Amino acid sequence: MRRYLLGRLWQSLVTLLLATIVVFLGVRALPGDPALALAGEDRDPESLRAIREQYGLDDSLLVQFWQFVSHAVRGDLGDSIRTGESVVGMLKSALPVTLELSALAILIASLIGVGAGVVAAVRRGRPAEWAANGLALLGLSVPNFWLGLMAILYLSVATGLFPASGFVPFFEDPVRNLHHLVLPAVILGTGLAAVIMRQTRSSMLDALSADYIRTAEAKGLPPRAVIGRHALRNSLIVVVTIVGLQLGALISGAVVTERIFALPGFGKLTVDAVFQRDYPVIQAVVLVTATAYIVINLLVDLLYSVIDPRIRVRGEV
Amino acid sequence: MLRRTASRPIRPRRGSRHRLAGSVAVLALVAAATACSPVESSGDQTGGDSGDQAGATQDVFGDKADPAQVKPGGTLTVALSADPDKLDPSLSRSLYSRYVFHTMCEKLYDLGPDAKVVPQLATALPTISADGLSLTIPLREGVKFADGGTFDSAAVKGSIERGLTIAGSGRKSELGPISSVETPDPKTVVIKLTKPFAPLTAALADRAGMVLSPAAVSKLGADFSTGPVCVGPFKFASRVAQNSIKVVKDPLYYDAAKVQLDAIEYRIITDSSIRSANLRSGDAQIADSLSTQDAPELQKDGSLSVLQSQSLGYQGLTINIGNATGIGNPVKQLDTPIAKDPRVRQALEASIDREALVKSIFNGLNTVACSPISPKSEFTSDAAQTCPGHDPAKAKELLGQAGVSTPYKVSMITSNNPDSLRLAQALQAMVKEGGFDLVIKPVEYASLLDQQDRGDFELLQLGWSGRVDPDANIFNFVGSKGSQNVAGYNNPEVDQLLTDARQSKDQAERIELYGQVVGKLQQDDPLIYLYRQRNLTGVSKKVLGVQTYPDGVIRTAFAGFAK
Repeated sequence: MRRYLLGRLWQSLVTLLLATIVVFLGVRALPGDPALALAGEDRDPESLRAIREQYGLDDSLLVQFWQFVSHAVRGDLGDSIRTGESVVGMLKSALPVTLELSALAILIASLIGVGAGVVAAVRRGRPAEWAANGLALLGLSVPNFWLGLMAILYLSVATGLFPASGFVPFFEDPVRNLHHLVLPAVILGTGLAAVIMRQTRSSMLDALSADYIRTAEAKGLPPRAVIGRHALRNSLIVVVTIVGLQLGALISGAVVTERIFALPGFGKLTVDAVFQRDYPVIQAVVLVTATAYIVINLLVDLLYSVIDPRIRVRGEV
Repeated sequence: MLRRTASRPIRPRRGSRHRLAGSVAVLALVAAATACSPVESSGDQTGGDSGDQAGATQDVFGDKADPAQVKPGGTLTVALSADPDKLDPSLSRSLYSRYVFHTMCEKLYDLGPDAKVVPQLATALPTISADGLSLTIPLREGVKFADGGTFDSAAVKGSIERGLTIAGSGRKSELGPISSVETPDPKTVVIKLTKPFAPLTAALADRAGMVLSPAAVSKLGADFSTGPVCVGPFKFASRVAQNSIKVVKDPLYYDAAKVQLDAIEYRIITDSSIRSANLRSGDAQIADSLSTQDAPELQKDGSLSVLQSQSLGYQGLTINIGNATGIGNPVKQLDTPIAKDPRVRQALEASIDREALVKSIFNGLNTVACSPISPKSEFTSDAAQTCPGHDPAKAKELLGQAGVSTPYKVSMITSNNPDSLRLAQALQAMVKEGGFDLVIKPVEYASLLDQQDRGDFELLQLGWSGRVDPDANIFNFVGSKGSQNVAGYNNPEVDQLLTDARQSKDQAERIELYGQVVGKLQQDDPLIYLYRQRNLTGVSKKVLGVQTYPDGVIRTAFAGFAK
């Protein structure tokens, strides 16, 4: 297990470095540099030169990369070229928003997805399955931005049930915080809920036809115990993997959702930074995202071993 | 009055008649509502009495709040269409920072609704010496910065010098040829110039004229934007990157008694339909830069009003004539018919039906532009507003004279946002009739700027938000030494006219010179002016006292919630 973990950690570091290099070069290959984006209308050659000089944009790529990595290792991700604010500060305020939004979305999606999946599997061929399948199809095929717009139109503008934009930190006012986040979280969670539902349904169907279920039933266990303790528990392994894999989709979904609801999160920060060619912010964002992916992958692997002891045993061999 | 508003000479395109009729009715209601209120009514300038082109609607600037109808307190939420950049008057470069600055950084001068310069932290317009080389500005007394420091001539001197010297300054070119700033006493500033520079007063009515707290500058230096301190009705409270900026009432402000709101929160919402939705749901009370698509719908909403002012800028087509190796490098005539032969460019202009463009694409909310000088500007004249007009037959004839076979293929780069694309498609259909085959190449904004500066385009669609002094709308773009002369245009006669206008102290003479410039530009057509954007601002009727001026800035500082 330890060797397995160390190996995974080493792999992760290499991945991180590669991701950093790719992004560093990729961003600089884009046409239009930060000086241009920053100067916008008011640009003149002299101030463009001054901006480039100020942010070291006229240094060679190697120097720039070394500057970035050496500072990043010390926890300094630089200042935003656009606003002059420290990037670490920007991340500190943006990350909790997205984490809370994603956690809420996963929670909602899991509750709906697992519930509907179990119902669809157990009530196979009945109207309940049709309904669950239909919902899943809708959840998968309707894009977030459209759903978000509709939600704002009907649940904010027409009825005033939910706010259309804005954010209140959780520790400032938990009720208002949730009030602001519920709608975006539901919308962000729709796609994921659909995936979870379909996965739960098919794994449950597999499990329900397995021998051990027949044994459990033969032992005279009540249906709740058969479905909950035996079939569902075994089905969840695949579901956890799927949730882990879908986190990427969640992050990109958050980009759209955060922009629509004007949430001060990570996704919004990323897109705006790309449009403004704010190199330090883009680099930091990618660094953090890559780290998050790597950590999540590790966690999913670890979670496997909790749910299915066979993996833990094999890992130690 | 109602009837006059409703019978304005609007000729709607087919299919949108009922929508326009509806918005006219709403405008009439708005006009009626403003007429009933006991405050001065600047919104009701109806009738075809202005110099606007056909299809134009009237400016609605909004009114000052009547103190009897406003209750003190509350937080105003403003949905902003873009994130302001650095909150540092010396370094800021985006229009949107000006929205925020106006509540927390007052300037030596301000603009009135008529686009005329009026004193703000100064007490009178500058006294200019006979040789035009010295400007004396009298300052307000008894004014404090938000940090308690005293506002005086030394602070003004420090701010102007900072604008001239700080690395990456956005103010340097606006301030012109300043040789020194003198402070004979605490309430007088004298600016010395090496050459006369007429646009300076107008520049001091923008960010170059904002006065920064010397204590904050010495403490924060180049990081002033992280905690800006000036003189203003509000002071900076907090900023969440790319999301929101909050300012709170400043009790030390000299006119604090007139400030009603406790705080203003600027919330950045880039999508215009979502901005409108926030306005309608009440999550924001003000939304700027409404789309001309959304505005008629919002005008129908009884709880909202739409303020509109014609901008001082323009949208147009720039033709690459001599920008072969990038801006800043010597111009080199390009070897294409459209670059070499003015007749081809004139043909392109003649094949564009500007009126149809503003009516069909922008619901008649934007106005036709044929020159860089807005009819709202003090510097307008008949010569500056002449328009070559739409004449596809003439276009074909000109192309024939130039020996170009039709359809003449020309490619145009344009921003990839929906409004720009709709414009491009309409242009494409229009110029076909005149013998052009327009190929649209949409690119993202930062790439567009990059391509334009490198000279990597044939035709370019972009605009300019506009400044009060015409020099700032012309010189940089068509002057051969202009910093944004991306057309690579070079005409010594135009250069001479622009320099004379820049150095003249006589307004009548400047008007005459700019008229001549417009004539030359319409001959050479390095830039085909298309239309002037209307600044459309949605405001909840729960808020009183919100005003928008021709500089595009929404004035919210003295607004308040209705009782």
